[in-house]
Amino acid sequence: MAEPLLTVRDLSVRFPTTRGVVQAVNGVEFDLEEGQTIGIVGESGSGKSVTAKTLMNLLPRSAEIEGEVTFDGRDVREIAAKGEDHFWGVQMTMVFQDPMTSLNPVKRCGEQIAETLRYHLGHDKKKAISESIDLLERVGIPEPAKRERQYPHELSGGLRQRVVIAMALACQPRLLIADEPTTAVDVTVQKLLLDLLDDLRKERQMSMILITHDLGVARGRCDEVAVMYAGRIVERADSHTLFSDSRHPYTDALLRSIPRIEQPSHTRLDPIPGRPPELINPPVRCAYAPRCRFAQRNCLEEIPDVSGVVGMHSFACHYPANTERGEAALQSNLDRGETAGGLHLHAVAEGAS
Amino acid sequence: MRYILQRIGQLVMVLLAVTAITFASVNVLGDPLTNILGPLASVDCTDVEAGLVEDISTRGGTSQGDCEVIALTRAEFNLDDPLPQRYVTWLGDIATGDFGTSFQNQLPVSTVIKNKLPVTLRLVGMGLFLSIMISIPWALLSAYRANRAFDNVSTVVSFGLLAVPNFAMGVILFYFFAVRWQIFPTRYDPSNAYSQIKSLVLPALTLALPLAATYQRLLRTDLITTLQEDFVHMARAKGLPSRTIMVRHALRPSMFSVLTVFGINTGALLGGTLVIEQIFSVPGMGGEIVTAIVRDDTPVVLGIVVIIVTAFVVVNLLVDLMYSILDPRVRRG
Repeated sequence: MAEPLLTVRDLSVRFPTTRGVVQAVNGVEFDLEEGQTIGIVGESGSGKSVTAKTLMNLLPRSAEIEGEVTFDGRDVREIAAKGEDHFWGVQMTMVFQDPMTSLNPVKRCGEQIAETLRYHLGHDKKKAISESIDLLERVGIPEPAKRERQYPHELSGGLRQRVVIAMALACQPRLLIADEPTTAVDVTVQKLLLDLLDDLRKERQMSMILITHDLGVARGRCDEVAVMYAGRIVERADSHTLFSDSRHPYTDALLRSIPRIEQPSHTRLDPIPGRPPELINPPVRCAYAPRCRFAQRNCLEEIPDVSGVVGMHSFACHYPANTERGEAALQSNLDRGETAGGLHLHAVAEGAS
Repeated sequence: MRYILQRIGQLVMVLLAVTAITFASVNVLGDPLTNILGPLASVDCTDVEAGLVEDISTRGGTSQGDCEVIALTRAEFNLDDPLPQRYVTWLGDIATGDFGTSFQNQLPVSTVIKNKLPVTLRLVGMGLFLSIMISIPWALLSAYRANRAFDNVSTVVSFGLLAVPNFAMGVILFYFFAVRWQIFPTRYDPSNAYSQIKSLVLPALTLALPLAATYQRLLRTDLITTLQEDFVHMARAKGLPSRTIMVRHALRPSMFSVLTVFGINTGALLGGTLVIEQIFSVPGMGGEIVTAIVRDDTPVVLGIVVIIVTAFVVVNLLVDLMYSILDPRVRRG
């Protein structure tokens, strides 16, 4: 097997704050092959954006980073430390969540694409602008020559995100990190943008990290999916396995909370009770335990290890869902009416059956 | 275009309001007749006619009696008209370029302004130029590595510059650069354009340093805020070098508060150069204003007020136009 394009090993990121140290990312590991897509799924504060920003060297200097990130056999953190030119933007780049704020409001759209071409590829102004227009056309922007002259505030959110994508892809990067690229645009535009990203990725043999809080977005577009919770990857599997045979109760609960077309209308959705945990001085236990329907006593006392190896189905849980052990744990909790974490199960159990 | 007309309308309103207040106060707070004629104005004409008081001016050999002089002066300066009417007359004169005559030396006020204003304008212009040339790179450098060594030293230096009163700053610069090292002349040298500019470097620097410190503080804060914006992250993700990001992405959207304060400060500068002009013996308007006020030289005071107010409003109009150049989103509004 060829060397993966990107390997992340035991990545941890801490932010010292006045209230204490925030453990934003904790022991994250994954591989990404050339031309493949990995989805990182999790709710706000799960550490997915911090992971992305770590890869892109965008974290504030106060962040304490540990672990190993290798891109094409090279140590990314060393590249960052040396301040190497023509790495970010050319090898690896990123698209941000909010197209309203990720374009410079005082510069013309075309200029913002062209400056990348001019800096990295040494194009002169004229060539850079004409290539920018081609890129705008490629990402499906109507009247690209006119849009090139316009300022970001003159475009709609969907068009702006297309400009951002054109900008990111200008120098044919090998890896694109898309951080919630469709969260800030409306649903009809979401699909168009995701399809566009898919097309461009295939056309250019590009690898992609698709970060989203929406499992539905990851489904069918990613080769592999990693689910993050409280700074850790709690489950990672190839896309098909994750959606059909999930193990971690959190993944299980996420899948349950998605409305399905085959359900009768007005079926109650099954939300996950409680809130994500604080990341400042977390207690030693499975971070999900207080919200977990499967939780037993030992879930509150020890952090479960990640089972399996990178590249295969792995998960971090004492009582995995869809296994005998897990079902037995769930059943005993249902019988008692509450979990070891003190979560009452009546209402939840009804919807689950 | 409509916007510019609207702003020019505002300019006129401000001019009218300020000159009306100034005109009224100089005429009400002091007796204009006394200001023009001095002690003579206090002569009681009824007493003179009754022969109770000796006619002073005839003693000097002139043909006009005290009361005649007073009557003539009253007529010449329209002192018997009601105040609003005198204001309107004065405005009409200003509009035609007639600023009146100084009570002190009988020179036309326009000549006084013509002699003094260019020097002050050049001084203020150079000061502003220097303050911008110093503050922008300084703010960029300290915001780039905020709260690190350079930035921390900058903070101390800029507060130091703000805390030193400008006469002290002027004297310090004067001592080192003019007296000790003799890099710059000790007196204003009007002989040619080069010597004029050279003589103005130190006073302009005295003016510029505290301003530069203010602008550096403002711009640094705004830059730090801008640097947290997504589009700056995006520019970094595009792999642009830090210099390009600071100068071409972060600077422009961070200029607004600096620009606002710049506009407000600049008007005040024209009338506030007295101390600096004194230290460096620059023959500018600062000294002229003070002399005029102390001696109740009403036409000169009013003329200078008109100049300063106009400059203030024009600079702020330019600042407003700059906003729309800096930020395309303002253009439609």
